[in-house]
Amino acid sequence: MKKPDNVYLNRFPWVARFQEGWAIYRQNLLGRIGLALLVMFGLMALCSFIPPLIDPMYEPMIGVDPEVLCSTYPSARHWLGTDFMGRDILSQLLAGARVAFMVGVSAAFMSIVLGTAIGLIAGYMGRFIDTLLMRLADMIMVMPTLLVVLILAALFGQLNIWTIVLIIALFRWPGVSRVIRAQTLTLKQRPFIEAAKVAGASHMRIIFRHIMPNVLPLAFLYMTFRVTSAIIIEAALAFLGFGDPSTVSWGMMLQWVWKTGHMFKAPYWLLPPGICISLITLSFYMLGRAMDEVLDPRLRNEEQAG
Amino acid sequence: MEENNKPVLQLEDISKIYRSKMSFFGDAGKEVVALNHVSLKIFKREIFGLIGESGSGKTTAGRLIVKLEEPAAGKIFLDDNEITGLKGKALKDFRLKMQMIFQDPYQSLNPQVSIYDTVSEPLLIHKIDNVQTRKHLVLQTLKSVGLSPPEDFLYRYPHQLSGGQRQRVAIARVMVLKPKFVIADEPTSMLDASISAQIFNILLEMREKIGVTLLFISHNLAAARYLCDRIAVIYRGNLVEIGPGEEVIQKPKHPYTQALLDALPKFGHWDEAESYDTLLSMERDISQDAACPFFCRCKVANQRRCSQESPHLMGSDNSHLAACFYA
Amino acid sequence: MALLEVDNLSIGYQTPKGFLKAVEGVSFSLEKGESLGFVGESGCGKTTMGTALMRLLSRNGSVKGGQILFEGKDLLKISDEEMRLIRWKKIAMIFQAAMNALNPVHRVDDQIAEAILAHDPASSREDAKKQIEDLFQLVGVPKDRMRDYPHQYSGGMKQRAIIAMALACRPRLIIADEPTTALDVIVQHQILEETKKLQKEFEISIIYISHDISVVAEVCHNIGVLYAGRLVEYGSREEVFGSPVHPYTKALLSSYPTLTGEKEKLEPIPGEPPNLIYPPSGCRFYDRCLLAKASCKTEPPAGIQLTPTHNVLCSNIE
Repeated sequence: MKKPDNVYLNRFPWVARFQEGWAIYRQNLLGRIGLALLVMFGLMALCSFIPPLIDPMYEPMIGVDPEVLCSTYPSARHWLGTDFMGRDILSQLLAGARVAFMVGVSAAFMSIVLGTAIGLIAGYMGRFIDTLLMRLADMIMVMPTLLVVLILAALFGQLNIWTIVLIIALFRWPGVSRVIRAQTLTLKQRPFIEAAKVAGASHMRIIFRHIMPNVLPLAFLYMTFRVTSAIIIEAALAFLGFGDPSTVSWGMMLQWVWKTGHMFKAPYWLLPPGICISLITLSFYMLGRAMDEVLDPRLRNEEQAG
Repeated sequence: MEENNKPVLQLEDISKIYRSKMSFFGDAGKEVVALNHVSLKIFKREIFGLIGESGSGKTTAGRLIVKLEEPAAGKIFLDDNEITGLKGKALKDFRLKMQMIFQDPYQSLNPQVSIYDTVSEPLLIHKIDNVQTRKHLVLQTLKSVGLSPPEDFLYRYPHQLSGGQRQRVAIARVMVLKPKFVIADEPTSMLDASISAQIFNILLEMREKIGVTLLFISHNLAAARYLCDRIAVIYRGNLVEIGPGEEVIQKPKHPYTQALLDALPKFGHWDEAESYDTLLSMERDISQDAACPFFCRCKVANQRRCSQESPHLMGSDNSHLAACFYA
Repeated sequence: MALLEVDNLSIGYQTPKGFLKAVEGVSFSLEKGESLGFVGESGCGKTTMGTALMRLLSRNGSVKGGQILFEGKDLLKISDEEMRLIRWKKIAMIFQAAMNALNPVHRVDDQIAEAILAHDPASSREDAKKQIEDLFQLVGVPKDRMRDYPHQYSGGMKQRAIIAMALACRPRLIIADEPTTALDVIVQHQILEETKKLQKEFEISIIYISHDISVVAEVCHNIGVLYAGRLVEYGSREEVFGSPVHPYTKALLSSYPTLTGEKEKLEPIPGEPPNLIYPPSGCRFYDRCLLAKASCKTEPPAGIQLTPTHNVLCSNIE
């Protein structure tokens, strides 16, 4: 029987749990690298506001250096050089980081919310609703997301960035819902759920008060994986020319490199966005893997004494 | 210990059948009769023991009474009100009166919920009083199950408590509503002997203090002897014997009960020969289902009668009955 | 010379929170053909001791002191290879929930044959199968069930198969850890009866570990009571269970409801077992003992020999 350290820890056990989790996470090399990279990208995103403040020519989209007429190599004024229009590449890169986080996190968040809700309901309700929802999930899951978005873009012209986010979310929830549903099914059988039923709890109460808190860690874990796929889809769309033309993203940068024929002529322009896309997806993935280790024992049943 | 003649709980001809789904080895659609036309009455403030081995149907009976599952046939009455088809508000009111203590204290508490929230949840669900009164009730109940000082336990989480303490929390959760009827489904099978003893004493106290009626489901005859006023023995879904606790244990009438008592190690009387000897060493090989459920293993069975006729509960006096022609 | 002589055995586990002293200073002896039961509640160290006797402690466990003399040889000092030869051939173990140890994708007789052949490479598969036939008859499993898969067996049959496996090499000593806990009453009784019969027939010594005192009393002629890693009382069954001396033994006995005799109020033991990472310096039962004196808190209890066979670890005996 452990004596509580202080009342504060009692009232907010998440703090203690977080500390425990952090101790495990810290030992994972991948996790540390991933987290470090993410912090770096985070700082990049935050710093994206700075360049335009220094000088309007550093505006990623419309800022043009009047002294520069074409793509130039890195210099003192432009640390990563300029693109074909004379815009600063570094500012574009920083802005791209901001967009990557925005798109990645929002799309992931929306697909998780949707996927978790559907997974919970399907798992808990069972039978007809379960079959209906899961067949729906199957149908969406087999559809090639990118292709569908391309078709939509072709039909409706250029898409707004938030529309893209919405579409990614709508196509990515099935994977989450399957996992959440599986977890819900196991939890449904646990005696504490039956105890809640016997106490008179309504279905809503059981789902949100009892099942959801036990399922959320899994949902968060999957969110990290969703972020990677969201970022890649957005980058692919932008690269293929179907992105939001008013938003500077790394994929958009790559599209400009390609379209203006600078692919093999301007490595300072081509490499940064490409490396960034790879690194950010890698770092989210590493974060997810490390989190898996933290969360896994907790998802298992508690150990019995003796 | 019958206070009056009206039973608090009555099972009338209850049957429950499970159909197994497609199994890899071709047992598709096999029917298992978990409960076979079971009837019994439990009276107010009684502690009634339902004793059987695994697969006897005792846990199923508990689950039917508490309405986690529905019977295939038959009716259940709580205080004269039929509860078999209840829904909606009536069902919620019913839940106020009927509660269950589960077997596994390591699984019956939500690991993410504090002790306070766990014990106060029933009060919240049934919208009893306000926050202040609820907290007071929770503290009072925690104290009555021996978790003292109760303030220390309010904001702890299940993984910080031992098995015995968790089971007490489970009992507190049940008793906070002051229910009429509580089913205790093997409440101590996961606990050590001295902790089990504590739990038994708490259950006895609850009966004294709140006047609750208790159905004690177990395979442990010694515990049943200690706790129960009346005991019913169940074998493969059939009630085979029912009577006052001490009588069923000291003077069992049904061959199965006798076989159980023979099999139990009798502490202090080691190496004594079996007194009843009603069990066949090898099961009888019969082609069709016999009428008496115990026929295949019964030494004292009559080949003709017992394989064709199914005995009902019978007895010379009304209080101690056995489902056997030769009891 | 006794078959097994354990002298002052101490075992501990390295845990993230510190070194857990699971077993402390346990000594006992076992003659050929005798049965010895160890009782105690969860955490008392009985399973630890059982596995240590076979040198099968988990990786973070270690023997901190003492001797295990089996047929005169100290098992703690011999090499891994020598121990491997002793395991199963001379000492066999039936673990807790052993029936779950049967591999579900292999037939039962194949599994047992494998065990036999592993320890006796000289014999052939046919010999092994013949041996299994004999063993199954011994433990009461019908011969025609030999070729079945484990899931086709009932709990009782699986346990009998495990016992047959343990007997395969005709060991001198069997260590059984809660072998019947998961079984129904009637099946348990049959297996206990068979165990007693086999023991007599083959003069096998048995160490029976359980938390259920009535089961242990059925099978064992000698009893050891463990509490918080210490052997608090040790003697014949009649001595320990008939006229217990140690306060814990007495308290433990009065927590069990009985089937016969007077119906007395159960007196549970108040409090909780001590933390074994920082065990108290004095008697480990001090804070729950009704007879405790002030000196019991700081001074370790004395080992007292009441009769040549009956030993108690308590400073409070008149």
